[in-house]
Amino acid sequence: MAVIRFLGLVLLGAIVGGVAALLAVAFVSAVLALNDLLLISPRSRMMFDHPGLLLAATVAVPALGGLVVGLLHRAIPEQRPHTPADVIAAVQTRHGRLPARAGGLSALSALVSLGAGASVGQYGPLVQLGASLGSLGARVLRLGRSDDNITIACGVAAAIATAFNAPLAGIVFAHEVVLRHYALRAFAPVAAAALVGYVIATNVLDQGALFHVAETAVPRPWEFMAFLAIGGLGALVAGAYMHTILGMTRIAGSLPLAPALRPALAGALLGLTALWVPDILGMGQETLRFATIAGAFGSTELLLVLVLKIAATGLCLGMGFSGGVFSPALVIGMLFGALCGSLVGQLSGAPQETFVFYAVCGMVAVTSPVIGAPLTSLLIVFELTGSYALTTAALASVTLASPIAAQLFGRSLFDIQLEGRGLDLSAGRGRAVLRATPVTEYLTKACVTLDPQSTVAEAVTALCQARHGEGYLVDGQGRYRGCVSLADLEAAREAAAGPVRVDEVAPLARPVLRPDTSLWDAMAELQDVTGEALPVIDPHADDAFRGVVFESSITRAYLAHSDELRREEHGTG
Amino acid sequence: MARDDRSRRWPASAPGLALLWLALFIAMPVQAEDDTLSVLSWGGAYERAQQAALFAPYTAATGMRIEVARYDGGLEGLRRAVAEGEVPWDLIDMTRSEAMAACAEGLLEPLSPELLAPAPDGTPAEQDFLPNSFGRCAITHSIFATVVAYRQDAFPGTRPESIADLFDQQQFPGPRALQRTPAVNLEWALLSYRVPHEELYDLLSTRRGLDLALARLDELQEIQWWEAGDTPVRLLTEGEVVMASGYNGRFFDAMVNRGAPIDILWDGQVQEHETWAIPRGAPNPETARDFLRFATTTERLADLSRHIPYGPARRSAAARVTTHPDSGIDMRLHIPTHPLNAERALAKDEAWYARTLGRIEDYFRAWLEEREGP
Repeated sequence: MAVIRFLGLVLLGAIVGGVAALLAVAFVSAVLALNDLLLISPRSRMMFDHPGLLLAATVAVPALGGLVVGLLHRAIPEQRPHTPADVIAAVQTRHGRLPARAGGLSALSALVSLGAGASVGQYGPLVQLGASLGSLGARVLRLGRSDDNITIACGVAAAIATAFNAPLAGIVFAHEVVLRHYALRAFAPVAAAALVGYVIATNVLDQGALFHVAETAVPRPWEFMAFLAIGGLGALVAGAYMHTILGMTRIAGSLPLAPALRPALAGALLGLTALWVPDILGMGQETLRFATIAGAFGSTELLLVLVLKIAATGLCLGMGFSGGVFSPALVIGMLFGALCGSLVGQLSGAPQETFVFYAVCGMVAVTSPVIGAPLTSLLIVFELTGSYALTTAALASVTLASPIAAQLFGRSLFDIQLEGRGLDLSAGRGRAVLRATPVTEYLTKACVTLDPQSTVAEAVTALCQARHGEGYLVDGQGRYRGCVSLADLEAAREAAAGPVRVDEVAPLARPVLRPDTSLWDAMAELQDVTGEALPVIDPHADDAFRGVVFESSITRAYLAHSDELRREEHGTG
Repeated sequence: MARDDRSRRWPASAPGLALLWLALFIAMPVQAEDDTLSVLSWGGAYERAQQAALFAPYTAATGMRIEVARYDGGLEGLRRAVAEGEVPWDLIDMTRSEAMAACAEGLLEPLSPELLAPAPDGTPAEQDFLPNSFGRCAITHSIFATVVAYRQDAFPGTRPESIADLFDQQQFPGPRALQRTPAVNLEWALLSYRVPHEELYDLLSTRRGLDLALARLDELQEIQWWEAGDTPVRLLTEGEVVMASGYNGRFFDAMVNRGAPIDILWDGQVQEHETWAIPRGAPNPETARDFLRFATTTERLADLSRHIPYGPARRSAAARVTTHPDSGIDMRLHIPTHPLNAERALAKDEAWYARTLGRIEDYFRAWLEEREGP
């Protein structure tokens, strides 16, 4: 039975993968068609023989596109597009259930953004779209959260496999970035999805590879030192890129301009800059190609385009265009690598036969920290070029880039963004899940509440009848007044001659929880407590007593969550 | 699209056609136009091949006489004839790029692929013809190529294998002969940077791409620019240059019929389509369609490729090409669409050129003036 259920999940993965791949194909084709129609692609700009109109369109198209994007985002509850960060959050907290409507609207606004030439990426929206589709599939079939996570990963893997024409990269990306574990139970459905995506990509999507590199010379041994160095420096470029996006987001938030109008302003600024440097417009496929050719750019020109591309992407994403961060990082990384390559060429005077190695090393050094996926970046290089020499060089570069960037900035731009929203994934999923579970799920009223004015004798009787060792003092207004133990009450009754009021008894030192306290924080509080339960107090309602959470329920919940994670991450089927 | 045009046009033109015939019979009973088909074609070896493979067999089969007028490309004559309402030709053999332009100007009759015969094994024409063979007003019958040819004796111990070698002055020194146009030269120059074929025209659409291409051309020490198609063959056979661009049919003729010591470098060959088109107001459009159907059958296309090394537009015909009737050499190895030759062929992006040629030419001319100095 379990086997059949598992095979069903694999089949579902393949179906999700197929639909996600077709959507990805449609999305990519629509972006290309829009770019041709709206005079964004160099080809359409070249074929359009009205210089004045072309200038006007260069500014107007991104600006109007921005306006449409801004209006679309008003229909999303969070007023912002959903991105892979939302997918990661849903999976890492085992919340799952990605909203289909917000996901669809985000994909639509990304289509408009990319079509109108905003400097954003297309892979983020594809990942988000695939994930929303996978989650929808799980919901339609009323599957549990673990299966929801797997179908999300299936959608993601298929989107990447299709868009890059790289099934292995799709599978690894889904595990490395989204699931962050390598359970066999997840592997088979995800692999099936990626495979279907790849087959569809090769048969339906008649597009050239993102970059492919003809046979080239093999780098000399000392050049691997240069590749390592490019990795280290690339981490800094990646940091600058990420912080430009984050900084622009903060600045945009404080602008005296309605959020819906911000993308339009960014679009107009982008268009104006593109009149001077057209390379920053759109995804920059041509710029990417030129960056692999020695001599296509001068060194200062490389630096200029590099800086402007970072600024343009920060501007577009910060001001609210919808789109990914990978494609611009690809261009930025390639330009950075090309810059390093030409500098090395100038210093060593060697012929630039290995120029493309520098460009690719720069590319992985910047992209891998941004998306937090060193293995995926390497596999993309390998699957797209089929060159082992190039992959090895990229490995040298990523070896330093990823850890340095992780130390200095964080695991990925997504993780940094999520941390800003209060979800810290730096200690892994176990903590994230417990942090995302509020303690009120385990709240109970099955405790003894005592009136502070009542006598100790009455309190002892009440506790004994209920067979509890602790009572919680709650006054007439429903406010929490402390906690007393049966032992202390008995001692007080023994010691005193006459009747003693309960509030005269020394209360227990007992930490209190709030309704929004997470299971993780409750566990931390428990470390110093010996007792039955922790009271839950609502400070927003005048310290109202809401009930208690028993120590045993916290421990049980902790074990249950750990067990679920263990089953999800180490289960075989 | 072509199918719609046809269904729209025929009911309207059938009575008109009948009237035309009537008028011809009444007004000019002595003229024998009804049994003569007038074809505009390119002359020379090409026309001789058509005569042997197409015109003579058609006359034998139908009794229709075929009268050939000499065509040298361009649309001026056609434009004038259509404007004056006196079109003397029934059928024109034209390059696809000119057919596209003429069609856009309304100088040609729309053509439907439905009039084409299926392959001998029953494969419908639409699957048998190579991709993009059917325009709105023109049907591709052959594919010719602009290629690089080189002297066998110029580079002892080695020979050019990739189009990048055209620009490699170290390994392959010596003067080159290139056509004095941006087309093909820019493509080859940019291909020498090993850019993928499918990105070529996107990259040439940027200033950076054009600059890179011209920088590559600039690296060549000596270029002899040619304009007439027989010049590169002459320059190469006389030893004036060691490598030359030119049309594959002309190089074949020099190699096989005149024994010139040259070889063709197929890498990077730029393929263009040669089409049949019927001018608007042609005297005998129905006979022209009948001939077009006859001339594009698998058998006739295969036979044409035996006489001149152009690739038949039909896959079924490509498989049936045999030996040259006079020299007996295997023609399959000499046609541009043979798998061995076509592996890295480039399809000229005619839509791109149709919209950009003026600006590209200006840019090319400015570079040329700068290179050649005042």
